Amino acid sequence: MTLNVKVFRFNPETDKMPRFDTFKIEEFPNMAVLDVVMNIQNYHDPTLAYRCSCRIGMCGSCAMYINGRPRLACRTQVSSLGTKDITIMPLPNLPIIRDLAVDMEPFFEKYKKIKPYLIPKQDLKEPVICKPDSGERELIDYMLECITCGACYGACTMVATDPHYLGPAALTRAYCLIADKRDAATRERLVIVEQSEGVWRCHTQFNCAEVCPKKIVPTQAIQQLKKRCVFKRLGLFRG
Amino acid sequence: MEEIKADILILGSGGAGLFAALHAYDSNPRLKIVLATKGLIGKCGCSRMVQGGYNVVLDPKDSVELHFKDTIKGGAFINNQELAWTLVNDAPKRIHEMETKIGCFFDRREDGRIHQKPFAGQSFDRTVHRGDLTGIEIIARATDQVFARDITVLEETRGLELLTNSNGDRVVGALLMNIRTGQFIVVNAKAVIVATGGSASMYKISAPSFDKTGDGMAMCWRAGAEFVDMEMLQFHPTGLLAGKSRLSGSVLEEGLRGAGGRLYNAIGERFMERYDPERLERSTRDRVARAGYMEIMAGRGTPAGGVLLDMSHLGAEFVESKFPGMCERVRDIGKDLAREPVEVSPTAHFQMGGVRIDVNCYSSLKGLFVAGEDAGGVHGANRLGGNGIADSTVFGARAGDAAAEFAQSQDWVPVDQVQVKMFTNNVLKFFGRADGPDVYQLRDELKNLMWEKVGVVRTGQKLEQALKRLAEMSEEVERAKLPTGSLRGYNLALNEILNLRNQLVVAQLVAASALYRKESRGSHYREDFPETDNQNWLCNIFMRKKGDGYFIETRPVKLTRLRPEDVAAK
Repeated sequence: MTLNVKVFRFNPETDKMPRFDTFKIEEFPNMAVLDVVMNIQNYHDPTLAYRCSCRIGMCGSCAMYINGRPRLACRTQVSSLGTKDITIMPLPNLPIIRDLAVDMEPFFEKYKKIKPYLIPKQDLKEPVICKPDSGERELIDYMLECITCGACYGACTMVATDPHYLGPAALTRAYCLIADKRDAATRERLVIVEQSEGVWRCHTQFNCAEVCPKKIVPTQAIQQLKKRCVFKRLGLFRG
Repeated sequence: MEEIKADILILGSGGAGLFAALHAYDSNPRLKIVLATKGLIGKCGCSRMVQGGYNVVLDPKDSVELHFKDTIKGGAFINNQELAWTLVNDAPKRIHEMETKIGCFFDRREDGRIHQKPFAGQSFDRTVHRGDLTGIEIIARATDQVFARDITVLEETRGLELLTNSNGDRVVGALLMNIRTGQFIVVNAKAVIVATGGSASMYKISAPSFDKTGDGMAMCWRAGAEFVDMEMLQFHPTGLLAGKSRLSGSVLEEGLRGAGGRLYNAIGERFMERYDPERLERSTRDRVARAGYMEIMAGRGTPAGGVLLDMSHLGAEFVESKFPGMCERVRDIGKDLAREPVEVSPTAHFQMGGVRIDVNCYSSLKGLFVAGEDAGGVHGANRLGGNGIADSTVFGARAGDAAAEFAQSQDWVPVDQVQVKMFTNNVLKFFGRADGPDVYQLRDELKNLMWEKVGVVRTGQKLEQALKRLAEMSEEVERAKLPTGSLRGYNLALNEILNLRNQLVVAQLVAASALYRKESRGSHYREDFPETDNQNWLCNIFMRKKGDGYFIETRPVKLTRLRPEDVAAK
């Protein structure tokens, strides 16, 4: 079977307008969209620019806009698209370096704003004892699977309309730390996320959750944060 | 040309690079530290891809002596015993640091303490993990901590060459290239830490991420550092087979065999019964990989050239809950790991050989520190599953500490501009050359050549043939073409040429060292010398550059803590 692949091409330094190049690519079994992109770049047009690293969904480098939806190219099987026509574009809401490679800097700038690193409590000297059935980390544990691929960021309409909104991934990380009993900076982070460009920008549209390749629901983290922000305002927040 | 002055330059952002950065900074926050990484920080390299977990002694019933013994046995007794001893003793400190300072959280047992799971080749269940995708947690959290510190991070910036003084015995910095813009950067550093990973990607079926192409090793070689045991390259027994997809070769983790997974050939025989009746599938990687390869070569493989990994007898619910990441990956190719056998093949995975270092990661060149897969000696002839990420974090941390101390007592040695010019010309020469060998064809040829001639089973004749062709290819790659109108920035074809150039250096070291070792040991199997020969070959092979060629010699292993007879006696 032959795939009709349309690939977005744009060099912001020289091109006034982006264009699409079309390639006919032979499909093979187990072909991922990343295979398609690599095939094009290796054997058809070596000037194509894209980014990838691990090719097994662990590094989050190859998020692209594939047939109208942010996805990891490596984890998107061609057969799952249900069509032989494939359109590949860069991840939305981020500046384009060239072609399919975007500049992740704005995404990570916001990620850094919430202080994404553990600030351990003074008395944390040993690994904490935490029973798996205690429920203490129930939500955090699966959210830690985040690979910061930016798919949620590319899918979020609020990010699209407000360049300052922290976005789903940064807020999810903030929640993981705020809910982590080892961390000493809970209030500090709540102050950051309760700003107008924080949690209240989320309009619970669940676009982020729909596209997350790790099946995380950032909306859930954001709602948890909103609850804590309200409690904090009311003077009821303990922690 | 941009010039940066730094106390410490770190190349690589896997476990070794990140821990080096954190430790160097925490040793002395006033040091100017530059970390350059080929991809995005924490996203490239293989630490991120660690699935199974991290070997460490935590349980009072376990001991570092046992972990040490397993490591030396697994390494077929040619490990540098001081490095292995350092590994097992520092690993608990690093896990402790990760849980209390860095912010990692590993899976827990019923009683709330850190869970440890069984891995192959180990006398105790000591593998700490987070599900079956452990690397994400370790590397993401370590990256977060880098963000908390004043460390200069240069992303999508690759190392091209180490810069040396006029005598060639002191590394004074490195020449880098910003991949996005194609611009060169000179970093004048008191200490350089190389931690870019190995070159197993030079094989047709291989596990590593695509950005890992032996860059650090090749740079160290060209700069004149001494190497050890380069023939030792590990094939992981269970690489997923997915046809022509690049998913092929990705590892299905060791814990699957640890948990009781079975391997069958195409005619339904549980073939490990013939190769290691005692340990079966829980034998070490070298043995299981070779067994699988032998079965395939004997015509008992599947049509696609694999053997079968079966988990179904353990119960679908168990498999799905313990190995969700593996199930998901297999599902991507339309198979069900929990309910049916899955085709696997040995896959090129990890280099035990590398730059010779001491316990503080000093190499043979002043100012050059090496940690992680780029360094050799810790694992001997075969690495145990779960000792890899332990290696990178333990020795990364040590390199950071040592480089910080070194940098405080040293001054900068000026960069030689003539050398810089020579190195930049050696990259720029490709532009405007529309005719010449195609780099992608050469790369594909290298992968096939290494698989067939320098692979799981080697012979003197095949290795000689490989060396001859590799030497020719090293000349061909220098004449490779670039598309007309190629841009300097984000030029993947140019980067492929630079990758291939480095892979060819490492490939030749592996083949030459493999030809030299006339016995079989660990991951190195010579069909023409199938026995392990402790009489003549209980030694390490050292190589260093000499003119355009190399100098090679053996030195007996220093059995400072454990001798083969100590293990055999018990």
